[in-house]
Amino acid sequence: MRRVLIVDDEDDIREVAALSLEATANWTILTASSGREGIKVAAAEKPDAILMDVMMPEMDGPTTFRQLQLNPETSGIPVVLLTAKVQGVDQRRFAGLGVAAILFKPFDPLTLAAQIAEVLGWHDEPQNP
Amino acid sequence: MSNANSAEATTSKLIAELWVRNRPLILERLALLDQAAAAVESGTLTSEQRKEAESTAHKLAGSVGMFGFHQGTALARDLEAEYVAETQDAQRLLTLTASLRSTLFPGG
Repeated sequence: MRRVLIVDDEDDIREVAALSLEATANWTILTASSGREGIKVAAAEKPDAILMDVMMPEMDGPTTFRQLQLNPETSGIPVVLLTAKVQGVDQRRFAGLGVAAILFKPFDPLTLAAQIAEVLGWHDEPQNP
Repeated sequence: MSNANSAEATTSKLIAELWVRNRPLILERLALLDQAAAAVESGTLTSEQRKEAESTAHKLAGSVGMFGFHQGTALARDLEAEYVAETQDAQRLLTLTASLRSTLFPGG
Protein backbone atom coordinates (compact mmCIF):
# COMPACT_ATOMS: atom_id res chain seq x y z
CA MET A 1 0.00 0.00 0.00
CA ARG A 2 1.32 3.47 -0.94
CA ARG A 3 2.16 5.99 1.75
CA VAL A 4 1.83 9.65 0.85
CA LEU A 5 2.79 12.66 2.95
CA ILE A 6 0.64 15.78 2.51
CA VAL A 7 2.32 19.06 3.51
CA ASP A 8 -0.01 22.07 3.57
CA ASP A 9 -0.57 24.83 6.11
CA GLU A 10 -4.29 25.07 5.31
CA ASP A 11 -6.37 22.66 7.38
CA ASP A 12 -9.22 22.42 4.86
CA ILE A 13 -6.94 21.54 1.95
CA ARG A 14 -5.07 18.96 4.03
CA GLU A 15 -8.29 17.38 5.21
CA VAL A 16 -9.88 17.15 1.77
CA ALA A 17 -6.70 15.81 0.15
CA ALA A 18 -6.21 13.20 2.88
CA LEU A 19 -9.81 12.08 2.76
CA SER A 20 -9.73 11.94 -1.02
CA LEU A 21 -6.56 9.83 -1.25
CA GLU A 22 -7.63 7.46 1.50
CA ALA A 23 -11.14 6.95 0.16
CA THR A 24 -10.46 6.73 -3.57
CA ALA A 25 -7.06 4.96 -3.60
CA ASN A 26 -6.79 3.37 -0.18
CA TRP A 27 -3.40 4.99 0.37
CA THR A 28 -2.01 5.57 3.84
CA ILE A 29 -1.78 9.29 4.46
CA LEU A 30 0.64 11.19 6.66
CA THR A 31 0.21 14.93 7.17
CA ALA A 32 2.27 17.95 8.16
CA SER A 33 1.13 21.55 8.52
CA SER A 34 4.45 23.25 7.71
CA GLY A 35 7.56 22.73 5.63
CA ARG A 36 9.65 22.22 8.73
CA GLU A 37 7.30 19.54 10.07
CA GLY A 38 7.14 17.98 6.60
CA ILE A 39 10.93 17.56 6.53
CA LYS A 40 10.86 15.80 9.91
CA VAL A 41 7.99 13.49 8.96
CA ALA A 42 9.58 12.68 5.60
CA ALA A 43 12.90 11.73 7.22
CA ALA A 44 11.21 9.62 9.90
CA GLU A 45 8.58 7.90 7.76
CA LYS A 46 10.11 7.86 4.27
CA PRO A 47 6.80 8.02 2.38
CA ASP A 48 6.48 6.89 -1.24
CA ALA A 49 5.67 10.44 -2.30
CA ILE A 50 5.09 13.92 -0.94
CA LEU A 51 2.24 16.19 -2.01
CA MET A 52 3.25 19.70 -0.97
CA ASP A 53 1.76 23.17 -1.12
CA VAL A 54 3.85 25.95 -2.68
CA MET A 55 2.76 28.92 -0.57
CA MET A 56 3.33 28.26 3.10
CA PRO A 57 4.46 30.71 5.79
CA GLU A 58 8.03 30.52 7.15
CA MET A 59 9.23 27.79 4.78
CA ASP A 60 7.51 27.60 1.41
CA GLY A 61 7.23 24.52 -0.81
CA PRO A 62 10.27 25.21 -3.04
CA THR A 63 12.50 25.86 0.00
CA THR A 64 11.21 22.73 1.71
CA PHE A 65 11.87 20.75 -1.47
CA ARG A 66 15.46 22.00 -1.61
CA GLN A 67 15.97 20.98 2.03
CA LEU A 68 14.61 17.51 1.28
CA GLN A 69 17.06 17.22 -1.60
CA LEU A 70 20.00 17.96 0.70
CA ASN A 71 19.26 14.95 2.91
CA PRO A 72 20.21 11.59 1.35
CA GLU A 73 17.38 9.97 3.33
CA THR A 74 14.72 12.10 1.64
CA SER A 75 16.29 13.18 -1.65
CA GLY A 76 14.85 10.19 -3.51
CA ILE A 77 11.25 10.79 -2.46
CA PRO A 78 9.25 12.20 -5.37
CA VAL A 79 7.64 15.55 -4.58
CA VAL A 80 4.47 16.79 -6.25
CA LEU A 81 3.88 20.50 -5.76
CA LEU A 82 0.35 21.76 -5.32
CA THR A 83 -0.29 25.36 -6.29
CA ALA A 84 -3.12 27.80 -6.90
CA LYS A 85 -0.80 29.93 -9.02
CA VAL A 86 -2.06 29.62 -12.57
CA GLN A 87 0.28 31.98 -14.38
CA GLY A 88 2.80 30.45 -16.79
CA VAL A 89 5.76 32.25 -15.25
CA ASP A 90 5.06 30.63 -11.88
CA GLN A 91 4.60 27.21 -13.46
CA ARG A 92 7.95 27.45 -15.27
CA ARG A 93 9.68 28.56 -12.08
CA PHE A 94 8.30 25.58 -10.14
CA ALA A 95 9.06 23.14 -12.97
CA GLY A 96 12.67 24.32 -12.95
CA LEU A 97 13.10 23.13 -9.37
CA GLY A 98 13.22 19.48 -10.38
CA VAL A 99 10.05 18.34 -8.66
CA ALA A 100 8.27 15.24 -9.98
CA ALA A 101 5.20 17.20 -11.05
CA ILE A 102 3.03 20.23 -10.41
CA LEU A 103 -0.70 19.91 -9.79
CA PHE A 104 -3.13 22.76 -9.49
CA LYS A 105 -5.56 23.90 -6.85
CA PRO A 106 -8.40 23.57 -6.66
CA PHE A 107 -8.09 19.85 -7.31
CA ASP A 108 -10.97 17.45 -7.85
CA PRO A 109 -11.11 15.18 -4.78
CA LEU A 110 -12.52 12.35 -6.90
CA THR A 111 -9.58 12.32 -9.33
CA LEU A 112 -6.64 13.57 -7.25
CA ALA A 113 -5.28 10.07 -6.57
CA ALA A 114 -5.48 9.17 -10.26
CA GLN A 115 -3.64 12.39 -11.17
CA ILE A 116 -0.86 11.66 -8.68
CA ALA A 117 -0.58 8.03 -9.81
CA GLU A 118 -0.37 9.20 -13.41
CA VAL A 119 2.38 11.79 -12.90
CA LEU A 120 4.41 9.40 -10.72
CA GLY A 121 4.01 6.48 -13.10
CA TRP A 122 2.17 4.35 -10.57
CA HIS A 123 0.27 2.63 -13.34
CA ASP A 124 -0.40 -0.54 -11.38
CA GLU A 125 -2.14 1.42 -8.66
CA PRO A 126 -5.74 0.41 -8.02
CA GLN A 127 -7.76 3.60 -7.92
CA ASN A 128 -10.45 2.31 -5.64
CA PRO A 129 -10.32 0.08 -2.62
CA MET B 1 -23.00 -0.23 -7.16
CA SER B 2 -19.40 -0.87 -8.28
CA ASN B 3 -16.45 -0.33 -5.94
CA ALA B 4 -15.48 2.76 -7.93
CA ASN B 5 -18.95 4.30 -7.71
CA SER B 6 -19.20 3.40 -4.05
CA ALA B 7 -15.84 5.05 -3.27
CA GLU B 8 -16.88 8.15 -5.23
CA ALA B 9 -20.19 8.36 -3.40
CA THR B 10 -18.50 7.97 -0.03
CA THR B 11 -15.88 10.57 -0.90
CA SER B 12 -18.49 13.04 -2.14
CA LYS B 13 -20.51 12.61 1.05
CA LEU B 14 -17.46 13.17 3.25
CA ILE B 15 -16.43 16.23 1.22
CA ALA B 16 -19.91 17.68 1.69
CA GLU B 17 -19.58 17.15 5.44
CA LEU B 18 -16.20 18.88 5.40
CA TRP B 19 -17.75 21.83 3.58
CA VAL B 20 -20.28 22.22 6.41
CA ARG B 21 -17.52 21.91 9.01
CA ASN B 22 -15.38 24.50 7.20
CA ARG B 23 -18.23 27.02 6.85
CA PRO B 24 -17.00 29.21 9.77
CA LEU B 25 -13.53 29.46 8.23
CA ILE B 26 -14.95 30.43 4.84
CA LEU B 27 -17.22 33.04 6.44
CA GLU B 28 -14.23 34.42 8.33
CA ARG B 29 -12.32 34.78 5.07
CA LEU B 30 -15.29 36.49 3.39
CA ALA B 31 -15.58 38.91 6.32
CA LEU B 32 -11.92 39.82 5.92
CA LEU B 33 -12.51 40.51 2.21
CA ASP B 34 -15.55 42.65 3.10
CA GLN B 35 -13.41 44.69 5.49
CA ALA B 36 -10.65 45.12 2.92
CA ALA B 37 -13.12 46.30 0.24
CA ALA B 38 -14.67 48.74 2.74
CA ALA B 39 -11.19 50.01 3.59
CA VAL B 40 -10.46 50.64 -0.10
CA GLU B 41 -13.76 52.51 -0.33
CA SER B 42 -12.84 54.73 2.61
CA GLY B 43 -9.24 55.13 1.46
CA THR B 44 -7.85 53.54 4.61
CA LEU B 45 -6.51 50.22 3.28
CA THR B 46 -3.05 49.56 4.69
CA SER B 47 -0.34 47.63 2.89
CA GLU B 48 -0.67 44.84 5.44
CA GLN B 49 -4.44 44.64 4.91
CA ARG B 50 -3.97 44.51 1.15
CA LYS B 51 -1.51 41.64 1.45
CA GLU B 52 -3.84 39.80 3.80
CA ALA B 53 -6.77 40.29 1.41
CA GLU B 54 -4.65 39.03 -1.50
CA SER B 55 -3.61 35.98 0.51
CA THR B 56 -7.18 35.33 1.62
CA ALA B 57 -8.52 35.53 -1.93
CA HIS B 58 -5.71 33.21 -3.03
CA LYS B 59 -6.66 30.66 -0.36
CA LEU B 60 -10.31 30.79 -1.36
CA ALA B 61 -9.37 30.40 -5.04
CA GLY B 62 -7.42 27.28 -4.16
CA SER B 63 -10.00 25.72 -1.90
CA VAL B 64 -13.65 26.35 -2.77
CA GLY B 65 -13.37 24.51 -6.09
CA MET B 66 -12.53 21.32 -4.18
CA PHE B 67 -16.04 21.54 -2.80
CA GLY B 68 -17.54 21.98 -6.26
CA PHE B 69 -17.77 25.80 -6.32
CA HIS B 70 -15.93 26.44 -9.58
CA GLN B 71 -17.56 29.84 -10.12
CA GLY B 72 -16.38 30.70 -6.60
CA THR B 73 -12.81 29.89 -7.63
CA ALA B 74 -13.11 32.21 -10.65
CA LEU B 75 -14.46 35.06 -8.50
CA ALA B 76 -11.76 34.56 -5.85
CA ARG B 77 -9.08 34.62 -8.58
CA ASP B 78 -10.51 37.91 -9.87
CA LEU B 79 -10.36 39.32 -6.35
CA GLU B 80 -6.78 38.13 -5.91
CA ALA B 81 -5.81 39.79 -9.19
CA GLU B 82 -7.44 43.06 -8.10
CA TYR B 83 -5.47 43.10 -4.84
CA VAL B 84 -2.23 42.16 -6.62
CA ALA B 85 -2.82 45.09 -8.98
CA GLU B 86 -3.47 47.34 -5.95
CA THR B 87 -6.80 48.44 -7.36
CA GLN B 88 -8.58 51.49 -6.06
CA ASP B 89 -11.90 50.33 -7.55
CA ALA B 90 -13.81 49.75 -4.33
CA GLN B 91 -17.09 49.14 -6.12
CA ARG B 92 -15.61 46.26 -8.10
CA LEU B 93 -14.15 44.74 -4.94
CA LEU B 94 -17.47 45.05 -3.11
CA THR B 95 -19.35 43.53 -6.05
CA LEU B 96 -16.90 40.65 -6.48
CA THR B 97 -16.94 39.88 -2.75
CA ALA B 98 -20.74 39.96 -2.64
CA SER B 99 -20.91 37.68 -5.69
CA LEU B 100 -18.45 35.28 -4.09
CA ARG B 101 -20.52 35.17 -0.91
CA SER B 102 -23.79 34.52 -2.75
CA THR B 103 -22.13 31.84 -4.91
CA LEU B 104 -20.83 29.97 -1.87
CA PHE B 105 -23.89 30.55 0.32
CA PRO B 106 -26.85 31.08 -2.00
CA GLY B 107 -29.33 30.85 0.87
CA GLY B 108 -27.56 33.63 2.80
